[in-house]
Amino acid sequence: MGAVNLLFVVQRPPYKSENPRLALTHAIASQTAEIYMDDGDSVVPIIVFVGDGVLNVVKDQQAMKVYGVTSTESHIKSCLLIDLPVWVCKEDMTRLGLKEENMITDAEDMGAELKTKFVSFADIQKEMESVKHLLFF
Amino acid sequence: MMKLAVFLSDWRRTEDSFERMKAEKMGVILVGNGVYHAVVKENGKDSPVLSKAGANFYVLSDDLTTRGFTAANVNSKVKIVSYGDIVDLIMNDYEKMAWI
Repeated sequence: MGAVNLLFVVQRPPYKSENPRLALTHAIASQTAEIYMDDGDSVVPIIVFVGDGVLNVVKDQQAMKVYGVTSTESHIKSCLLIDLPVWVCKEDMTRLGLKEENMITDAEDMGAELKTKFVSFADIQKEMESVKHLLFF
Repeated sequence: MMKLAVFLSDWRRTEDSFERMKAEKMGVILVGNGVYHAVVKENGKDSPVLSKAGANFYVLSDDLTTRGFTAANVNSKVKIVSYGDIVDLIMNDYEKMAWI
């Protein structure tokens, strides 16, 4: 079977619903499914933020300080830490007046090497076409 | 006519109800994901919520900072308030509340 590619697509803003958080935790946990697969087979997840979902990626979230809950930011950084690609739609950022300087671009403070990729929707569309499973949140 | 405090906690989907609401005095308190109305300029424009004629606009500081925004991002039409300030608004300024 080889690699099973999964694309987690987050289209809702953070906090009001559990949806974006579930996408992140599912994406992070998805690779554990490999224990049920044959040797050499793997799960390859990517998480992308589109539409209002790009608001999840705004940096300096103070959820822990204010409400004592882990922030969506910390989950996104956890993705980068485990080399799980995080993509953000550039057109939707522009529509909402967000610039890269407003966004989580890396998780260097956690020791991650992978960085957030800001991509066009055309790139996301290509990925949607190539993956085996699409999961919308 | 009533004095109405409207708690707006979503960014989408509730505008229809909101647009139809009328009150002698209206306070719009942006909480939860409603705070995006105070900080996001979609396609360079203010949220249509902020064009409600005669309304006073407030945004809850805690919900703003939770989402990574600060006072510097807030539209000049909107006043930043704490939970305590909201209690004062409810007790002193408005007779009824609507959570939409």
